[in-house]
Amino acid sequence: MRIVGWTGYAWALGATAACTVTGLAMRGRFDLVNIAMVYLLAVVIVALAYSRGPAIVATVLAVATFDWLFVPPQGAFTVEDAQYLLTFAIMLAVGLIISRLKRNVRVQARAQAKLEAAAQTERVRSTLLASISHDLRTPLAVMTGASSTLAERGERLSAEEREALARSIYEQAREMSERVAKLLQMTRLEVGGIALERDWASLAEIAAAVLSRLRERLTGHRVVLELVEDLPLVRVDAALIDQVLANLLENAARYTPPGTVVRLRARREAQELVVSVEDFGPGLPPGDIERVFAKFEHGAAEARGGGMGLGLAICRAIVGLHGGRIWAEKLPLGGSAFRFTVPLDEPPAPPSEPALA
Amino acid sequence: MTTVLLVEDDPDIRRFLRSTLAAEGYRVVESPTANRGAIDAGTHKPDLAIVDLALPDYDGRELIREIRRWSSMPIVVLSARHQERTKIEALDAGADDYITKPFGVGELLARVRAALRHAARSPAGEMLVLGPAQVDLQKRRAWRDGAEVRLTPIEFRLLAHLAKHLGMVVTHRQLLAEVWGPSYVEQTHYLRIYMKQLRDKLEADPMRPRHFLTETGIGYRLVMDEET
Repeated sequence: MRIVGWTGYAWALGATAACTVTGLAMRGRFDLVNIAMVYLLAVVIVALAYSRGPAIVATVLAVATFDWLFVPPQGAFTVEDAQYLLTFAIMLAVGLIISRLKRNVRVQARAQAKLEAAAQTERVRSTLLASISHDLRTPLAVMTGASSTLAERGERLSAEEREALARSIYEQAREMSERVAKLLQMTRLEVGGIALERDWASLAEIAAAVLSRLRERLTGHRVVLELVEDLPLVRVDAALIDQVLANLLENAARYTPPGTVVRLRARREAQELVVSVEDFGPGLPPGDIERVFAKFEHGAAEARGGGMGLGLAICRAIVGLHGGRIWAEKLPLGGSAFRFTVPLDEPPAPPSEPALA
Repeated sequence: MTTVLLVEDDPDIRRFLRSTLAAEGYRVVESPTANRGAIDAGTHKPDLAIVDLALPDYDGRELIREIRRWSSMPIVVLSARHQERTKIEALDAGADDYITKPFGVGELLARVRAALRHAARSPAGEMLVLGPAQVDLQKRRAWRDGAEVRLTPIEFRLLAHLAKHLGMVVTHRQLLAEVWGPSYVEQTHYLRIYMKQLRDKLEADPMRPRHFLTETGIGYRLVMDEET
């Protein structure tokens, strides 16, 4: 049985008390039956608002006070007129029936919610399938075509044509392996198959490693690093935070025109580290900014061939695992900012070494 | 002729590695299993081994440990993505470097060349040239832009240990055990603090290091100018 908070019982007591006050005011001018109705109303209200326990308590209290104060002989629990026993029985029955009905409604609502969640999962699954079939089959088609040309007609092609075909196979394959990796990562994050390997890490180091790895993809942009000197160390899974930064930077490069600035900033704010990737591109799509973090949500550039819309969903899951927040902002002068926080722990004891003379 | 031992069970991956390495002038010995790899490592005396970590008969890490019992040949492992733990274990078992699948030829050959160079290098006998900085490992002195830089004893020990594995990855655990001692292997923040100090003293742009490189979640790699 569910443990009910004390509020239900408090209300049962309060409602009975209110009825008693009302009843006392009515005494002499109304029939006892009408005063019983006031008590019945209290029982109904408590039964509707709370579970069976408070309903029964309200009924018993109502019956007892009604009997003690109003039913002759007053000031005793004895009942002269047997018809009041029926009044009591009816009050109890009403209380029980209403709480029972209410429970049924709640059970049905829960079943309904479960059905809706299942339908939602089904919708996500079919979007996923549609997305996979489009985003993975297109590069597969290119690779199949180009490689069969090389294998079967290779000798009729010029060296440049052969190289161009081979290169497009390489690029499509690389792109596809990125997508498959993101898909797997998202799945892993969703089923909770990732245990954080937390360790003391330096955000500046992670950022430098990401920038060096993405050098090629970021060549068209001017990347500005604004890291506060002496950022505190963070206890994170560095490989996962690396993915967050990489996804945000890749997005910035993908959705903004070449030549624009991409700014990576980090600063301490109270008990957390705030990391931002800011760009000066066309800005976020109009409407609900939060939507960019949903799975399979694509930016405008997607039509020209981009990712699967998983990058930000992965970021959100990873930041969430670390107990941080991630959000997007429109910048006042155009462009957008993606920021996330990482909670700061008590810093570890530093190593000791005598300073150099 | 330089001989490369290739321990990999997938025939397609073996095929493309074989043609790539052969085209670069290496002699390639192929072993489809760890067992076979252990035997071939003994009979063919390769100059370098490329070991896939997921082998059908037993774990690639076990094979690395076995080879390490009698040989210091450079070992480069092939591993899947997002498996930092496996990579670290392979490196701690004695591997020198890793390549994450899928990889391009350029990356593979760069790793192979760096590993062979590392094996051929005489340890600690040379000047390290790190952009604007030079380090004399024997005399334990360092300069930057011609001016001498004072390194603390721990900074120097850390630098020397990285230099011993020049161009290769050294895990956090290995560095901590070597520089501070075996009871300090969990104190990763020591490394964060001292690597920052080394970068501040020796890198041209400490925020974008070109020599003291971070292998996120795994360890560090020191590279000289010729290798960047």
